[in-house]
Amino acid sequence: MQVFHIRYRNTQGTLMRILTAASRRGIELPYVQAEPAGHGHEVTLLLEVNAKQVGQLFRDWYAVVDVTDARAGSMKDFEQYTAWAMPHPPASAGVQANSAAASA
Amino acid sequence: MLRGADIVLRCLRAEGADLVFGYPGGAIMPLYDALEGSGVRHILTRHEQGAVFAAEGYARITGEVGVAIATSGPGATNLVTGIADAKMDSVPLVCLTGQVRTPLIGTDAFQETDVFGLTLSLTKWSRLVRTLEEIPAVIAEAFYWARSGRPGPVVIDLPVDLLKAKMEFRGPVEFHPQPRPSQNNAEPVFADTAITLLQNAKKPVALVGAGAKLSGAIDQLRQLLDHLQIPTFATVHGLGAVEQRAPYYLGMVGMHGTRAANMALDETDLLLVFGARLDDRVTGDPIRFAPNARIVHFEIDPAQLDRVRPCELPVVGDLAETIPAFHSVLNRAALPDWSAWRAVACGAERAEPDPRGLAQPTKQFLDELFSRLPANNVIVADVGQHQMWAAQRYRFSTPRGFITSGGLGAMGFALPAAIGVQLARPDTCVLCVSGDGGIQMNIQELATVRRLGLPIKIVIVDNKYLGMVRQWQQLFYNRNYAETDLSDNPDFVDIAKAYKIHAWRLGEDALRQWPVSQETGDALERFLKSPEPELLVFECHPEANVFPMVPAGAALSELMLEED
Repeated sequence: MQVFHIRYRNTQGTLMRILTAASRRGIELPYVQAEPAGHGHEVTLLLEVNAKQVGQLFRDWYAVVDVTDARAGSMKDFEQYTAWAMPHPPASAGVQANSAAASA
Repeated sequence: MLRGADIVLRCLRAEGADLVFGYPGGAIMPLYDALEGSGVRHILTRHEQGAVFAAEGYARITGEVGVAIATSGPGATNLVTGIADAKMDSVPLVCLTGQVRTPLIGTDAFQETDVFGLTLSLTKWSRLVRTLEEIPAVIAEAFYWARSGRPGPVVIDLPVDLLKAKMEFRGPVEFHPQPRPSQNNAEPVFADTAITLLQNAKKPVALVGAGAKLSGAIDQLRQLLDHLQIPTFATVHGLGAVEQRAPYYLGMVGMHGTRAANMALDETDLLLVFGARLDDRVTGDPIRFAPNARIVHFEIDPAQLDRVRPCELPVVGDLAETIPAFHSVLNRAALPDWSAWRAVACGAERAEPDPRGLAQPTKQFLDELFSRLPANNVIVADVGQHQMWAAQRYRFSTPRGFITSGGLGAMGFALPAAIGVQLARPDTCVLCVSGDGGIQMNIQELATVRRLGLPIKIVIVDNKYLGMVRQWQQLFYNRNYAETDLSDNPDFVDIAKAYKIHAWRLGEDALRQWPVSQETGDALERFLKSPEPELLVFECHPEANVFPMVPAGAALSELMLEED
């Protein structure tokens, strides 16, 4: 798992474009938190990614016109989020259940 | 007081968009009501996809922003293929879509679709306009992003009530983007590294993509290549950027590229990429793409770097700036003598692939046709076998002389795109080359051609199959021609005549003698010189194939020169 912090101007669709960079690659989004930060906004993502995808994601995020900064973070940042310690999440569980049903 | 619709049109004119393409409908009616006297010329196509491809054709030939207009719901969804096409091929495009009244948005109202959401991943930028007052700023920003950096499509969704509402209009505004971290490293430090890589290279090559044309860096690129004298090849969108008679030029690279280009790419130890995305049609198997090469990638869009293969040296910036910066430092550097490598690469087998194949008459036909083109010409190709034959046979007179849907590969592109090209270049001979499959995807635009009296020359290479798919079925699916048989095609000559477009047919028999008969030659001359639209159906062998061919997922070195 890798943590990312992306700062952006909260214009129409910018958060969705940031998320689409992950979803178009089939990367699930188990943790997303967007909030005001300074003069703009920041979204924190936790993603299961490989090294190649990390590079692709950064470049895609910088290609979004209202993204102002993108950087990797530390997993320690997540200790404050108790929700992350819970079994997770409906999307992943659903995929696994469907896969099991399909192969049964 | 002006209506929102009047303000939109004034802002379009302020951006230089005085020619637009579209199709009216309920939610966009106020804009159409305001057209007369606005100074904006509207071209009515017969389908919204025709409008967006025509706008693309206009943008691709001029380098200016193309504008397409559609109503809400189905009108907007019909634009989506063109928007995706513009994204892939870096075409500056502004799409204006009508939307249901503001209070109805989100209620699943009649002809409501979430076009903003639908197109998020296909656009550089988009806006659902929420107030009348923001219209001027939104249009200014839309044009800015469509043009800037790597060009691309933007969408403006306009609720119908805002188009009808009135306000005091003080005039168009300019957009000034907020500063963001620069990723441009076009300074001598990159050039020093690139030169060190060059000095250590024994087999350097250059690959040229569309970026060289989009940045207007053709002259700078040609000067650099003349200096380097290294084997050079182009992607399908890069064709025309390199002087075709240059002794180091090896032609098109990739799936249907030349053997010489693909072999040089396979052997190189240093690959200079100028404005190309390196998609899978160019690289083949990315793991075995240029396996021995270090890569220096000149590219304006950082999102394209390292996408397929990591590069040793990314050079992010406009090629019009980075190439001269590189060249100026290069002028002071001592370079190795690569003449032996150049001789090997350029001396690779260049004989006609598959000379006794079933495609030979079609290739001869295209040679005959292209040899008779006036100097001032543009080819607009659809998608499929004819596209690749045309790309292989056409001799470029201008950098933007070959227009096609390369990245998306959207069948049905050519005819409407040719309309946009011909309107932008009324004195140019525009030759639309399509297939019997592709032409039927937007054949309704023959009505637009006739209505405008555009002298477009339309060639349908008719093999009565979805030819490229059939070729793959033949080569990789044991000749199982599943659902690719189009032998029940309509008579295209009769169809053209119904649209009051002169049409005729040419069979392969006419190409069996070499050179062609005086009669056939004269007919082709008349076809190209006619001041009216013309349509020619060339009947191609049903099992003609395009070679060379690199099978999907294979290495470039595994190209097939003929059917095994």
